[in-house]
Amino acid sequence: MARPHVRDFLSGFVQPLVAGGELHIGAPIASADAERWEHELDDASVELAAVDDARTAVLSTLVCRPPAFVLEADDLALALGLHNALFLVHPRAEEWSVSDRVRRKIIDTALAQVSRPLTHDRTRVMARHALLHNLFHLTRNDTTVSWWTGRARFQGQKPPRRLTAWRGMRRVREDVTVIDFEELLAVPDTAPVIATLLRRTPLTQLLDAHPGAPPLHWEDAVFLLRDAELARAIGYRLVPDAAPRDQVAGAARLAAAFDQMLERTPDEADVRAVGAFLVHLAALFCFGELGLREAGAKSPLISTVLAAEAAGQRPRGLATVFALPGALALVDPRLATPPGVSSLPMLAARWAVHRTQTAELLGDAVIDALAARLRRHLRPAPRDPSVIVALPELG
Amino acid sequence: MALEHVAQGQTRFFTPGVAPDPRGILLGRFCVMTFATLEGAVSWFRLYSSEAALDELLPNLTITKCRTALGSREIVVQIPAVSSYAVDRAARLCRLVGGAMYTGTAKHFVKYRDDRSPYGYDAVDIGAMPATIDFMVHGDDFAQGYLREGELPFSRLLFRLSIRKLPGGERLGPEDRGELFLAVARGLSEGIIRYLWRNRVEAQAGLFSPGSTSAFDDHARDRGYMLIRARALPERILALFLGTPGIDVFRPAGAGAAVAVGYQHPIDLASCSSVFPAETFHVFWPNDRVDVLPGPLALSDIADLTRVDLALERPKDPRPLGGGLIESIGVELKLAAAMGPPRRVVATLIPLYHGSRLKRILFALPPVSLRGHRVAATERGFLVVGSENLDVIPLGQLLCELAPGLLIPLGMDVVPRVSSDVLARALGHQAGVVTVFTTSGRPFQVNEAAFSSLERRALAKLDVDQVAVDDYGAEPSADAQVVNDAVGRFALWGFPDAPDRKLLPGK
Repeated sequence: MARPHVRDFLSGFVQPLVAGGELHIGAPIASADAERWEHELDDASVELAAVDDARTAVLSTLVCRPPAFVLEADDLALALGLHNALFLVHPRAEEWSVSDRVRRKIIDTALAQVSRPLTHDRTRVMARHALLHNLFHLTRNDTTVSWWTGRARFQGQKPPRRLTAWRGMRRVREDVTVIDFEELLAVPDTAPVIATLLRRTPLTQLLDAHPGAPPLHWEDAVFLLRDAELARAIGYRLVPDAAPRDQVAGAARLAAAFDQMLERTPDEADVRAVGAFLVHLAALFCFGELGLREAGAKSPLISTVLAAEAAGQRPRGLATVFALPGALALVDPRLATPPGVSSLPMLAARWAVHRTQTAELLGDAVIDALAARLRRHLRPAPRDPSVIVALPELG
Repeated sequence: MALEHVAQGQTRFFTPGVAPDPRGILLGRFCVMTFATLEGAVSWFRLYSSEAALDELLPNLTITKCRTALGSREIVVQIPAVSSYAVDRAARLCRLVGGAMYTGTAKHFVKYRDDRSPYGYDAVDIGAMPATIDFMVHGDDFAQGYLREGELPFSRLLFRLSIRKLPGGERLGPEDRGELFLAVARGLSEGIIRYLWRNRVEAQAGLFSPGSTSAFDDHARDRGYMLIRARALPERILALFLGTPGIDVFRPAGAGAAVAVGYQHPIDLASCSSVFPAETFHVFWPNDRVDVLPGPLALSDIADLTRVDLALERPKDPRPLGGGLIESIGVELKLAAAMGPPRRVVATLIPLYHGSRLKRILFALPPVSLRGHRVAATERGFLVVGSENLDVIPLGQLLCELAPGLLIPLGMDVVPRVSSDVLARALGHQAGVVTVFTTSGRPFQVNEAAFSSLERRALAKLDVDQVAVDDYGAEPSADAQVVNDAVGRFALWGFPDAPDRKLLPGK
């Protein structure tokens, strides 16, 4: 049996993973093969160029000038780990010949493959995101074929023609079920691999999410907020032009992660960066309402998402998003208002309306509680040197 | 004979057919007004029509000549008591012209309220009414029976009255000259129409013959005249027409009547328009002449009535001309600095070499700022069209809209100044096409279908060196779908050994 070449893997798995299409899942790939494939990358220029072009196209909507990069061993290892994780939900892995011990071996191998070093390098982070940006949108079509005497289920495979022939006579019926991230990569066997993989690509976690995905660790991702262009791209992606509940969903998810961060012992600078970013998102919500006819009108967005009757349906972190500017005003006023808001009178007016409306709907108790949690991490602001201190007169 | 003052809240009365209205005022279904002479009744109509509409009273209004037991004759006007407010007005005017007012329903009418008894009066000693009288009125110290002698329809009274000359009534203000009718003798009609048309007076004309009810009158055709409805007739022309024999000028009085200018009908005709049947139009001439024309008036625009000269006996043969180039009389369209106030900026044409700057601006702006903007990449540059004021992109030549889809540079205007319709026709501009004038070069057109919404995806792949490429948009990626290939037996050589333990949760 001929050993598979990296070209096949690139065209059959990596290219569709980046640009969309059919990701072919085959037998699990050992680390030894991965090492061999690293050397074979030089012989797969055509496939490599196609993958890199697709990755550049993905990043082209994110940053003005996507950096130049080439797929290398680091990206290949992440793709291999994902492939092996996906094999764990392959129907072949469910057969009797694949014991728990074998599955354990595959999981350990996948974990080892995705356990690449964490990175804060901008190009590396963007390259990893371009490779894995579709992770939360992977789907699989499962087909259930039923005929007059039986039925069979095909997971991500086409049913054989012999089962679908003579449809009318054999009363053949095909039901297709779309399996998404939740059942592919959030099952107990694949979840640890995916959690490890996602920690390696924090940009993907900031830009996209799935309810079944592991929560974001802000400590891994906060460095991205210090890159103005990436932070802007993340902010704009998180505030889409959509229905109110969809508009706040991304910000609420990041604020929920911020809540978790406050329970740990993060660096103070990180707390400040994340807090400032979430306040910036709140300003973007105001920016979206500059076209309202009445400048002093109540925000329809806040009225919808923070309505008292829908309090039970609020996503986690939503209250934090809107309460954070008020809480920061009590703890460190420099972070409470994004810079430049006061230079735009209309934006400043909407900002004031948002804050008043938030205080009415959430109540002071929520804001005070958040302020108390923030005080544990933020030192008080240094005294303003312009404050004149009266010295006692000498006798 | 005694009347009692009605008290507030009183609900039971001796007088039959009366009841308190919501204000507590005693009121029957009708009111009768007695006048010593017909002139008194006419005076009442005249006063009432100038203050309120007679139309609401006309359905149940009767004018009756009555005789009392002593043989004296009076004019009795019966009106419906539609409300105590209307009756208050009628009573006030009745007293003003020397009449008396009573209210009731059938045969007994009691004095209507006055200052001494604000809720009205009730007759306490109503006895049996003699059979020789039709109805009885109860006053302060008398009760008078009346016998009906004959009725006078209101319409007959109206047409029997003569219109009266008004001092200075021929001088009309601009509002009064808004719509006037001209009755023009047939011999003058052609000249008058031409005169009005030359003076750009908006007018419609029709030929009418007044209806005649006399079997002996067979000269109705001779009395036919042309009726012209002129709008906003200038004062000098009105003065000319008023002084020209054969031309009579009328002012409309309501929808179905007109009165000669300088005259006035004693009763305001506009307040009693229901008297005039819908299919008639009454023209009140001086000297008691009233013409009844078929209505509503069917009139034609005088612009279509101007004379057309045909000389069929002298046909004009087409004169053959020698060959030669046809001299063009067209004027070249140019752009010149506009003198008017600046228009709203709706688009901008950005040169291709500013593509990278446009992209950077696009990536720096939040999506809400770009909402509604569209872009088309053309050989002449990026044409960005905004739904609102396009002030977020400070690049390129700003364009404003002359007509829908017709864009010219800001601060410029097209010379010669032709209407936007003519310009669009000359340019072949139509719906679905955007036509752009530029300060340099010829105008160009872009199909609406070439525009796409302006967002990051629209210019994501933009490269300054590839300006010749028109499609800069990044294709949306397809869905990634997992397909499980058939996997036969496989070996785990090279896989690390796992610790020998069960994969149980928590272990």
